[in-house]
Amino acid sequence: MSGGYKQQPGGGGNETRKDGKRVAGKQSFSPPGSGGSKPEMSPRDLDFIPETVGGKEKQPAGSHIHDRARTGTTVGKRTTLVDANAKVTGQAWYGDDVRLPNAIIGRIVRSPHHYAKVKSVDTSKAEKLPGVLAVATGDDAPNSFGVLPVTKDEHAMAVEKVRHVGDLVACVAAIDEATAREAVSLIEVEYEVLDSIHDMKKGLEDVDEPIHWRGKYHVGTTNVQKRVFQEFGDRSMVENPNASYHGKWKFMGVNHGFTEPHAVVAHWDSNGRLQLYTPQQVPHYAHRALATVLDVPMHQVNVIRTFVGGGFGGKSDPFPHEMCAAILSRKSGRPVRITFDREEVFWVNRGRHPSHIEVQMYADEEARISGFDIDALIDGGGFASFGHVTSYYNGVLATAPYELGSFHYTGARVWTNKPASGAMRGHGAVNTRCAVEVGLDDMSEQLQVDPIDLRLANLLPPHSRTISGFRITSNGMRQALQRVREGSDWDNKFRKLPLGKGIGIGCGFFISGSGLPIHWDPNKFPHATVHIQIDMDGGVTVHTGAADIGQGSTTAVAQVVAEVLALPIEMIHVRSHESDTSPVDLGSYSSRVTFMNANAAIRAALEIKEKILNAAWDALGYHPDTLVLNDRRIYYKHDPAIGMSYLQALHKAQEDKGALIASGAYRSPPMGGVHKGAAAGLAPAYSFSAYVAEVDVDIETGLIKCTDVWAAHDCGKALNPMAVEGQIIGSCHMGLGQVLSEQMVYGRTGHLQNPNLLEYKIPSVHEMPNVTPIIIESCDPEGPFGAKEAGEGPLLPILPAVVNAVYDAIGIRVNDLPLTPDKVWAAIAKKMKLEGIDDPADLPVPRLDFSELQSKLVARAAEHETRDKRRQKSEDTDAYVNGVLFGFDPNVPLEDQVEGWMSSDKPTPEQLAELGLAGTAWLKEEQRNMGGGN
Amino acid sequence: MVGEEHVSMIPAAPSEVWSAEVNGQSQEVLAPSNAILLDVLRDKAGCLGVKRGCDMGTCGCCTVLIDGEPRLSCLTMAQDASGCEITTVEGLADGAHLAPIQQCFADHGGSQCGFCTPGFLITSQALLTKNPNPSDKEIACAIEGNLCRCTGYQQIIESIQAAASIHRGESELANPASDAHPDPHPSGPEEPTMPPGHAR
Ligand code: FES
Ligand code: FES
Repeated sequence: MSGGYKQQPGGGGNETRKDGKRVAGKQSFSPPGSGGSKPEMSPRDLDFIPETVGGKEKQPAGSHIHDRARTGTTVGKRTTLVDANAKVTGQAWYGDDVRLPNAIIGRIVRSPHHYAKVKSVDTSKAEKLPGVLAVATGDDAPNSFGVLPVTKDEHAMAVEKVRHVGDLVACVAAIDEATAREAVSLIEVEYEVLDSIHDMKKGLEDVDEPIHWRGKYHVGTTNVQKRVFQEFGDRSMVENPNASYHGKWKFMGVNHGFTEPHAVVAHWDSNGRLQLYTPQQVPHYAHRALATVLDVPMHQVNVIRTFVGGGFGGKSDPFPHEMCAAILSRKSGRPVRITFDREEVFWVNRGRHPSHIEVQMYADEEARISGFDIDALIDGGGFASFGHVTSYYNGVLATAPYELGSFHYTGARVWTNKPASGAMRGHGAVNTRCAVEVGLDDMSEQLQVDPIDLRLANLLPPHSRTISGFRITSNGMRQALQRVREGSDWDNKFRKLPLGKGIGIGCGFFISGSGLPIHWDPNKFPHATVHIQIDMDGGVTVHTGAADIGQGSTTAVAQVVAEVLALPIEMIHVRSHESDTSPVDLGSYSSRVTFMNANAAIRAALEIKEKILNAAWDALGYHPDTLVLNDRRIYYKHDPAIGMSYLQALHKAQEDKGALIASGAYRSPPMGGVHKGAAAGLAPAYSFSAYVAEVDVDIETGLIKCTDVWAAHDCGKALNPMAVEGQIIGSCHMGLGQVLSEQMVYGRTGHLQNPNLLEYKIPSVHEMPNVTPIIIESCDPEGPFGAKEAGEGPLLPILPAVVNAVYDAIGIRVNDLPLTPDKVWAAIAKKMKLEGIDDPADLPVPRLDFSELQSKLVARAAEHETRDKRRQKSEDTDAYVNGVLFGFDPNVPLEDQVEGWMSSDKPTPEQLAELGLAGTAWLKEEQRNMGGGN
Repeated sequence: MVGEEHVSMIPAAPSEVWSAEVNGQSQEVLAPSNAILLDVLRDKAGCLGVKRGCDMGTCGCCTVLIDGEPRLSCLTMAQDASGCEITTVEGLADGAHLAPIQQCFADHGGSQCGFCTPGFLITSQALLTKNPNPSDKEIACAIEGNLCRCTGYQQIIESIQAAASIHRGESELANPASDAHPDPHPSGPEEPTMPPGHAR
């Protein structure tokens, strides 16, 4: 390391001291513009350059439009997160770590009642308490807000009513926490208590005083916030099934359980602009809501996203406490910090909806899936949040990966007097998916076939359409199933393990970004925009609004820019914290960041690359097509000696212009049908996953221990395999919590009994199984370098895999999650009584005796495998729509070839007579203009 | 109620001088005699790397070393730690040098959102000091009081094993990301590590 100048004093980059410690953040830096910590150019890393463009990277799924942009720099390599250093040194600043001079502390006054009218709030005593600098109530912020424009039903603090215990009533700011807490106790609120609703089934009934009025159209006088009806396909197919499953499921609510409690700091600067520091997944929505509630234009607000200590969907709504901090700060003229207790985190919640889900599934004589009937009643708690979307997702995300004869979905989301449910990792898809996958297992038991083969013989191929019209592009479901089957030694274990040991399978299907952005009008705006700027010394600054919530999105953006420009990743500096400097981004939800932001970043980087190559063309006289861009050097393809350094080319490109600047944007292609709700579940790509789980069930106590999981996830292309594996294992952990131990328990009086991490049981290291992550790369044609999401989809399969494994172990299915020992033991005891057994050791275990269907399925799966391979590689580009398996012509609209094929979004009078639980919401007449928001 | 004299809910405790050796520096601050160590470390001693996840001993984010032993600072009275040697995550790196455990957490995916990381680092550092050759089981027992919602622990255990092998002198720090650039160690965190106006 000689010759280079030292960027900072402190030794060379490779210096490792005797004690094993090494230089951190201090390294020699090579001459300006050669960039990176190594002065010499690295050779092209052919192992990470695709075969189609002359490298050695295998492409089993075919080539990709971004192949030409590959330089072998970082894509596909295990990459340390670019912000890892801040995290391991304690320098990462989360919400509560923002310390501004003169900051004061805010606290919130919360409702002790489930449901009540707020008659008066007397703040006079609190105001007189020495040290109290501001007090605010609902009167200070009458404007309503909400994450979805169609359901703005929240206020900063109660206006008129409180809707659950813990709902915000007022807030105070004082010089220290003790004073603030004391001031809270001095605020006197007079309530008129109303009849509260806790059971979601009651939410379907007419009441005098619904928790909200829905605005223009209210469903009867019930608490139904949203009802959905969807039907596709030919219902006559489900008559006379060869096998059928009917399951009534109950799922408890679960919380995200991120480690960082919410915290916010608000500060009105000397120009009267609001600077708001908050750990937000979606700073842009908070930004909009703040402007509305505070009645200021958006450009007078700067939202600064701090590091986010875990989000998982729980930090994606605009929150009332963010408004409170801003209001208190405006009143007191000082920065205000509000940090939540863990208990308050449970009061805001937005976790997974408690649900009652009923599924009926049918298979025909050839073991094709002739129909799914799903009925989902979900408990939204006190506010709408993302619920509108959740109501759809509970149904529509079950329409793949299998080919269906018909699909029937009724869903309803009701308000109850509990903390609001919202979006959580695997949004809306998790519970239904669990029920459906268990149903498949049950039907394969009836048909006496292997459940993996049943699935393999019913998969939709790549480049196809689901029954509801979703456009599937890349599809790695088949490989995922095959890999977990192999990895787990399935064929030697399934239905062959002794009593108490079991193995089970589950699959998943999830969106990779939502096709239509919410809150985005007119809809021609892009979903994501990224700006890139390179100044004289060659360092690259990337501006993006993408919120890194720990999933590594900042790293992904840095990686793709580094890849296109062939620069060491340490030369890429991503700025993503401030809404003032970053272009609008719709945030981290619906697993959209990698897909959309990285795509936008690639576009911007390609523009920069073109400018640099054109400059090199000027200087060298060779056309850009014949130039190779490699690590900080550009050279002629056929004679590497002819070339120039990146910096020389850059300076040439900057002549007369100064810094190179480019902006890239991504918008998903137009997609989807025309039926009501067609937009819900639309995505530019979908991810697929398959898990096999192995469990030990203690037959004496009902305690379940998951020991091993083989987890295959199709993420298109792993930009950073280390991060993808981290997402897979982390998803497993979270899903395992939901299936085995986590639940928000509401007592007889409707109070939340366990708003803390002691009684809300998140799996510790001892409950974690051995997870073998398996990455499937199906190379999505529209994904950045082929990538799709990996953050949410991997959660889905773990639930059904465990439930199915429990059945394999003890021959009992429990349809009530979580599978806590008491429930499992009760089921064992019941079965023993039924079978007249005294000793649980005598419980019968299920065994498999293949029927003749098995070989048919294997043959069909093999045929489909060839079909899928050809379609994946675009050797076969014929249209394929759901229904081809049943003998339909994909080129003729199904309505025209099948009598009785329908696609509807409202029940007919006959259907009204036989609706499921949630479906009964359709029995109510809509009432006009009862009051309320939209 | 008018005219009634207000009686404070929590009577103010008298302030006392609290002193301890925090990350090798002796610190003297004025703190209420009933203060909790976590509050003193975060609010008075400037150790914002010590995190508060639950305030009741269930998450482990607030773990610090008190005289070499890992302790939950949210359950420790500041007075009980006065005069002790306290190490927080800020004290793991030796000046410009990351400790192996820190480097390994970064390189092996032991840290995703990073909020639990300070607690894990401290707990594992304590383990490695006592036992440079831990089995996976022993690691699990050491970190059982720490909660991580992001990683599912597996990559954390890998990180600790990697650091252990460096402690034993079996391997040097190697960066798995170093295929193309043997030393791609970023030249600093991606963004200013403290917000403007951050008092340190
Ligand atoms: S904050 Fe101390 S254990 Fe959670
Ligand atoms: S890395 Fe997020 S909680 Fe552990």
